[in-house]
Amino acid sequence: MQNFINIERVELRQKKVSERVKDFKQSYELFNKEDATTQASRCIQCGDPFCHDRCPLHNYIPFWLRATYFVKEELAFNLSNESNPFPEITGRVCPQDRLCEGSCSLNDGHGAVTIGAIETYISEQAFKKGLKPKFPGITTDKKVAIIGSGPAGLSAATFLLRAGIKVSIYEKELKPGGLLTYAIPGFKLDKDVVFRRVNWLKEAGLELHLGKEVGKDIDFDEIINSHDASFIAIGQEGSRRPNITNENAPRVMMAIDFLRLSQKKLLGEEVEDSTHLKDKNIVVIGGGDTAMDCLRVAIREGAKSAKCIYRRDKSSMPGSNKDFKIALEEGAKFSFNAAPKEILVNSDGEAIGLNMQKTIIEKDPKSLKESIKMVKGSEFKVDADLIIFALGFISKKSNFLAENGVEIDKFGHIVVNENLETTKPSVYAGGDCQRGSDLVVTAAADGKRAAQNIIKSLLL
Amino acid sequence: MDRFKSFKDSCSFGLLANIENIPSFQNTTDAISVLKRMTHRGSMSKDGKSGDGCGILFSLPKEFFKIEAKNLKIDLPKQYAIAMVFLQNEEQKRVIEEICHENDLKVILYRNVPINSKALGDEALKKMPKIVQIFVTPKSLIATKRFDALIYLARREIESALKDDEEFYIASFSDKLIVYKGLMMPSFIEEFYQDLSNPLFKTTFAIIHQRFSTDTTPSWSRAQPFRTLAHNGEINSVNSNLFHATTKGKRIKSQIFTFGELKKLLPITHNKQSDSAMLDNMFEFLLLNGIDFFKAARSLIPAPWENAPHMDSSLRAFYEFTSASYEPWDGPAAVSLTDGRYVGCILDRNGLRPAKYIITKDSRIIVASEFGVIDIDEENILEHGSLQSGQMMGIDLKFGKVMKNEEINDYLKDSNPYTHWLNQNLVYLQEFVEIPFSKTSDYELENLHHLQRFFNITQEVKELIITPMAKDGKEGTGSMGDDTPLASFSKKQRTFMDFFKQKFAQVINSPIDPIREKIVMSLNVGFGEYRNVLKETPNHAKRIKTISPILMQEKFEILKSFGDESKPRYNQAYKNKAFSTLFKSDLKGSLEKLANSVVRAVKEEGVRVVFLDDRGVNEECLAMPMAMAVGRVNQALQKEDILHKASIVAITAEVFDAHSSACLIAYGASAIYPYLFYATVFNECKSDENSLFETKTYLKNSNHALGQGLLKILSKMGIATISSYKNSSLFDIIGLCKEIAKECFPNSHLLIPGLSYEDIETRLIENHKKAFLLDKVQKTFPLELGGFYKYLDGGEYHDFNPSVVHAVHLASITGKKEDYEKVKELINSRKERMVRDFLNIKSDRKPIDINEVEPVEEIWKRFSSAAMSLGSISPEAHEALAEAFNTMGAMSNSGEGGELPSRLKSFKNSKIKQIASGRFGVTPSYLRSAQEIQIKVAQGAKPGEGGQLPGHKVTPLIASLRYTTPGVTLISPPSHHDSSSIEDLAQLVFDLKQVNPEALIAVKIVSTAGIGAIAAGLVKSYADKIIISGSEGGTGAASQSSIKYAGNPWELGLSEVQRVLKANNLRQKVLLETDGGLKVGLDIVKAAMLGAEKFAFGTLALAIIGCKILRVCHLNRCSVGIATQDERLREHFVGTKERLINYFTLLAQDVREILATLGYTKLEDLIGRTDLLKTSNKKFDFSEILHYEEGINRWGKRVNKPFDNNEFEKEILKEVYKVIENSRENIVLHKDIKNSNRSFGALISGEIAKFYGNEGLPENSIRFILNGVAGQSLGAFLASGITIRLNGVTNDYLGKGMSGGKIVIVPKKQGAHYFSAGNSCLYGATNGKVFIAGSVGERFCVRNSGATAVVEGVGDHACEYMTGGIVVVLGKMGINFGAGMTGGIAFVYDKEHGFIDKLNQELVSAMRIDMDEADEARHFLKRLLLTHVNETKSLKAQYILENFRQEVRYFWMVRPKDMMKVPLKPEDGD
Repeated sequence: MQNFINIERVELRQKKVSERVKDFKQSYELFNKEDATTQASRCIQCGDPFCHDRCPLHNYIPFWLRATYFVKEELAFNLSNESNPFPEITGRVCPQDRLCEGSCSLNDGHGAVTIGAIETYISEQAFKKGLKPKFPGITTDKKVAIIGSGPAGLSAATFLLRAGIKVSIYEKELKPGGLLTYAIPGFKLDKDVVFRRVNWLKEAGLELHLGKEVGKDIDFDEIINSHDASFIAIGQEGSRRPNITNENAPRVMMAIDFLRLSQKKLLGEEVEDSTHLKDKNIVVIGGGDTAMDCLRVAIREGAKSAKCIYRRDKSSMPGSNKDFKIALEEGAKFSFNAAPKEILVNSDGEAIGLNMQKTIIEKDPKSLKESIKMVKGSEFKVDADLIIFALGFISKKSNFLAENGVEIDKFGHIVVNENLETTKPSVYAGGDCQRGSDLVVTAAADGKRAAQNIIKSLLL
Repeated sequence: MDRFKSFKDSCSFGLLANIENIPSFQNTTDAISVLKRMTHRGSMSKDGKSGDGCGILFSLPKEFFKIEAKNLKIDLPKQYAIAMVFLQNEEQKRVIEEICHENDLKVILYRNVPINSKALGDEALKKMPKIVQIFVTPKSLIATKRFDALIYLARREIESALKDDEEFYIASFSDKLIVYKGLMMPSFIEEFYQDLSNPLFKTTFAIIHQRFSTDTTPSWSRAQPFRTLAHNGEINSVNSNLFHATTKGKRIKSQIFTFGELKKLLPITHNKQSDSAMLDNMFEFLLLNGIDFFKAARSLIPAPWENAPHMDSSLRAFYEFTSASYEPWDGPAAVSLTDGRYVGCILDRNGLRPAKYIITKDSRIIVASEFGVIDIDEENILEHGSLQSGQMMGIDLKFGKVMKNEEINDYLKDSNPYTHWLNQNLVYLQEFVEIPFSKTSDYELENLHHLQRFFNITQEVKELIITPMAKDGKEGTGSMGDDTPLASFSKKQRTFMDFFKQKFAQVINSPIDPIREKIVMSLNVGFGEYRNVLKETPNHAKRIKTISPILMQEKFEILKSFGDESKPRYNQAYKNKAFSTLFKSDLKGSLEKLANSVVRAVKEEGVRVVFLDDRGVNEECLAMPMAMAVGRVNQALQKEDILHKASIVAITAEVFDAHSSACLIAYGASAIYPYLFYATVFNECKSDENSLFETKTYLKNSNHALGQGLLKILSKMGIATISSYKNSSLFDIIGLCKEIAKECFPNSHLLIPGLSYEDIETRLIENHKKAFLLDKVQKTFPLELGGFYKYLDGGEYHDFNPSVVHAVHLASITGKKEDYEKVKELINSRKERMVRDFLNIKSDRKPIDINEVEPVEEIWKRFSSAAMSLGSISPEAHEALAEAFNTMGAMSNSGEGGELPSRLKSFKNSKIKQIASGRFGVTPSYLRSAQEIQIKVAQGAKPGEGGQLPGHKVTPLIASLRYTTPGVTLISPPSHHDSSSIEDLAQLVFDLKQVNPEALIAVKIVSTAGIGAIAAGLVKSYADKIIISGSEGGTGAASQSSIKYAGNPWELGLSEVQRVLKANNLRQKVLLETDGGLKVGLDIVKAAMLGAEKFAFGTLALAIIGCKILRVCHLNRCSVGIATQDERLREHFVGTKERLINYFTLLAQDVREILATLGYTKLEDLIGRTDLLKTSNKKFDFSEILHYEEGINRWGKRVNKPFDNNEFEKEILKEVYKVIENSRENIVLHKDIKNSNRSFGALISGEIAKFYGNEGLPENSIRFILNGVAGQSLGAFLASGITIRLNGVTNDYLGKGMSGGKIVIVPKKQGAHYFSAGNSCLYGATNGKVFIAGSVGERFCVRNSGATAVVEGVGDHACEYMTGGIVVVLGKMGINFGAGMTGGIAFVYDKEHGFIDKLNQELVSAMRIDMDEADEARHFLKRLLLTHVNETKSLKAQYILENFRQEVRYFWMVRPKDMMKVPLKPEDGD
């Protein structure tokens, strides 16, 4: 270990641009054994493992890096899977540069340990060798219902099943995974990776009810009455809207809807809107990771151009630098310091472009807070066949909650106590629907915490 | 014993005798002279007259007493004895008479001893008893025959009858001896006891002693000699010896005393007296019971025989036989003893005390701590020698014969057919084991994971503790300090052994190096009962033995088979029975039941080996903490007086490191079978698919590592053998309740009493529940991760957790108050984690405006950085610290390891210079550049241990600063080799005060129970400042168990020191500093209130300059460029002096704000104010910490001046000053010198270094021609330009730390049999030349790194830890030559072909030089010998040179194995 002194940080290799834009398959190559062991050997094994501390799941990172270095593959797999319900997923989708790798002691000039890539390697390598997560089967008479099969729900299910508790998941979509399946594009996260986990959970005793929307297809109180406890993990699917003229016009989409649509098509699900993007000009408003995903999806769908417009400058982009670079490589165009003023429509009322306005960042000399100011007279037009807004998420109102005594705060978030229990006893909530839009890994952490509390209340 | 009243003592001693047994008054006056000439080895009260006590034991001057009695109208009969008694009242006389009467004795006379009380100081006068000699004669015929026995019996009875009269004391009661002693300085003894100046007071021999005690309320009775001996040193194993004395006592049958009489004599000794007095009790008991004088002596203080291959096998047999009955009274010791007929002197097994002897032509013998204690014409000297490690010499006064070590050994080994007896009766477990670790069935445990969880084997423990043991056979190494709460305050699962903190030697005694000096160490243990130790029969050899207390399956099964009636090997002497330590509920009751059933089995079933077994923990059953079980059972057996029959063996899962093993042994286990530990290793091997061979090796390594770790723990306390460690209780217990301590661990100090049996049970139940959670929840990874050693989310609390580190970084970068508030918030809201968190401040004043509070600058003056050497940290970090602390007007601490000469006179000079056991870079200019010199006796992270700077870290820069060779591993010994006792430390303080009279001398010690007494001793050694280091203190590298388990939090040590110093009226004489985890203002204020006036920062300072608590300091991979010398890493260093100043400004502001709220303007006014601290916690008892002792609270701002003013050298300095002023001049001075003229040369060298640095003056600028016997530390820290030529001999520590110049010692009589200098000469020398035409004592050239020396003979352990320089030995040498020697060269002339056996070949090899390839070396040697002849006229060297062609073949050249090229510079040979 501590080989950072001799070995440089190596990141995951992206496939050739010309290759990878052809399809929605995983756009990068996983680490091989040599990559993983040599990169793992760079770890210092700190006395204060900042990576572990920063990780919402508090993954045992230094431990499995060490095990990887010593080629104790099963040990690494066990350690990694103990704290994390799906390490091969978080390894792929976590913004490590903001979490573990960002706080890695070596991330001060030496180059952080490539924690995410190794995390993915550990599980994939173990799967290749035939290892699987272990479950005891249903060993108790306890039953728990989970609403939503996104990362929070799947995480909770995993930990509950480990305690031998019977779990039923109710999912409104036809495929499980929530945003893992419908929002994260396949080139980042192959859908088989998600379904593989779900299948193991099913083997372990998970009952999965797909296409069942609670409050619509099935009553909430029916669920909670037939289970010893329930966990609400319905995510936060509402989109923040720009509040400008014509924002509801055809050919204007919210990012999440765009991504879901694209994914549904790939999965062969029936869709109402079957817009083809071939030879079309796409404009994405927003500068986060979701915006990058939309751009890359558009490129893969054959768009003529995919352009991103962001109201601040490049260095202020909220997403990961890595995603930005990849999108740029794949041909996305970027325009900074501009904000939409109105959507231009044709005579059919369909969107055909945007009226934009230049922005400038002003710093308040006292509070040093930055604010965005529009530059007067700087309007310009941008043509577009499809406009996608990637401005972040807000909650979508779910009536069944309030109706059943589950309190919701003014932001639309479910109110819980320190055990993640809602105002309705034995009903727990976690993930985006409770905390607001956040990461896969935080949702997974919530699911784990809720499960642990449910286990404590039911079994111990 | 109450540790607030406890004391430790050490001293100087001597013995002189007329070998022909002819009494003379000369002998009496000589004895007094010896005592006076060693005054500097004692200590003095502030009245200048009261000492800690001194005295002389004389052969009875019969003529004198006859006349004295006659004057009192009594004609003395032929047979009489005199009791020398310290009386308080007449009632006591009545008791004495009565008891004498009952014992057939008759009091015939009371003689009031004529005294002159003016000779006493006030302190002594206050306590002066009435001193009376009581003359007693036998009353019956029987009494005539049993006179000795009856006197002894009567004395013991009187003592026990008057045991409540604390001051009552019988100094001696004998018909052969009489003791005159008291609380005066040696120079006043003669004046006080007028008898001693009466020319009729003619004696044939005398034993002399002067005491140096740590207490300031010494008593008359504690003065030595005792009735049979005088002891200089410290018996580290005394707890164990005391315990065993009681155990053995129960089995004793005496041929002298009847059963009824014996009952009155028991217990043989008790703990209300000093260790030396206990040894005296034991020795006297053996003598009076008819044990031969020499056997008794060697039974109690044996030579090291276990690992001494050079020892005669029949002598080994004697020792092995004796070891069944006696464990060594171990520790540094020079003891003179007598029974009236024989007088003897014996040295401890490691030769840690000096004992020098002279035999004269007119039949006198003098043994003393120093040479030169009486004036003897050199012509009259027949022999001039020194006892070596473990040797004894004696005088048979009856036949007028001196018996040397060999003669005594011959006598001992032939006194009984020991070899035969052993062959018949003794078995070794090993004999029955074909291949150890080939059986593994015990290690295949079904519920392994459950057990590991219950017994707290986490993944972290596996990786950091167990794996290193299995792989490398060594304990795992860690770094930085321990920032976790005590087990008692923890909310997490902790092992029970966490409540125990290891004891260690510091100041009053010294640790041993168990690696380099393993020759004295032993882990031998035996099973079988103690027989009557007063007899020697073949049956006494009936023992099962094994070389280590750590058993494995094979040995365990064999041991079991010996006690199993169904097995053919069965022998009822080893009958065994297993007792399960499992329970379901009611821990306390279950323990009681266990103890009762063991007692019953030993009493009624004849069980002799008790297995306490915790196997079988399941979902219903928990295991009692094994230490509790062992302690409880052991105490029960002892209480029932049957412990001598039984041995306890712990079969336990709780032991997986050396600390836990040591705990069990210290509380009574004879052996341990750590099955879960092996199972863990075995399972790991299995999952790694290791081969059978590998698995076996790993298991073997693990066993070995536990053994090595045990050795380290006992050596830390200065104990060499496990038999003297067993039952020693050498731990402090923190946080258990008094009831548990009393019932299970009564002989340990209990600090912060708290948790009850029920609390422990609750914790066990929680652990158990958590362990068996596995059955409820399928875990992918079945173990807990840990968090005890490193931070983990959900694991143990760490004070330097990631949030704190981030906050400290941010605050230090921005210097903003709001960022500092974050640190404060994190630390102050941590809740009850550290001791200080339980102490709340309740001020007696109203808040004041902050502007009234003293400024930041005043607070800064109290700050310093903790010692971190250049070497342990990078030059950038080291310099940033120096600059920042200098800017603040605070002080940075160099750590030991030298500093660039260019820095010494610049702003980057560290004001504190440290001197540690390695003496690396400790030169006159280094010492002279300091405002404070800090002697590091111990450090918080690893008290009692040495260290190592691996060769790869020794860059050219480091090497140059440390005066060594790049790439050569540097070993720091565990102890200062010029300080194994308090009077040695006083000498070291004296040396330093000479070389730098302007600096304060500080001593750094580590918090432990009993530290108050040590601190008091330090004040009396003239230290100016004492640093109480806490267990939180960091380190560059130490074994994990040392970081965690040795040393207590500073709060405990500091409060004890404050209290004891105040009680002894010493507080105003010293400054107190503390360190260990201080971070925020509240820490500082609380530390001040507990007594500290200065504060040091180690880890915090590093965190400020970028440290991220990586804990990899020992790997040279510090990614932030602090703890590394690697240039690539150093580029990443981000620390600046500004960051340090930023943080310390905020911290000082924080202190100011607290002062304002408390209504105090100055921190000074809060020092020692424990009266303002309160606790609201009900569980734990903090009353000892919060105790407020009346008295002065802080330093009186005056230097602690030694009573020896060193006028001698001061006068000489005046004479040579013109040469220092004008370096082109030179001077030759002729002077007479005495042994009381100590450290000669240091004062002048310091003065030279002040102006010229280490360059010094041109060679021979100042030449001294001295005549006489020089005192200790001649030529210490000698600077270039000084030449000392001594016509005579000198004492210990010649040329220590010399950095240049030349010392030539020419005794009148030359040669190997003429000792001309003492122990530890040239310790830490960096340069210079020494030529001695005679022999020297032990540890010659220890840690020499550059001096060249030629001597004609050396004692044991020569060239130990040497890293450079050249040594030529022309004659006899002792054992263990070149241990730990990683550099330099030695030439050894070995005509008798005995050298190779004495060479420690671990690191060095010897080669011949009479061949072509050694041409260079040969000629170098020749040149050096020529110089030796020129300087000393050495006959031996001359002979060798004249016959060089023949004689050169007898030379060996010794050099380190990994040093390829011989670094000989021809010019050094001239």
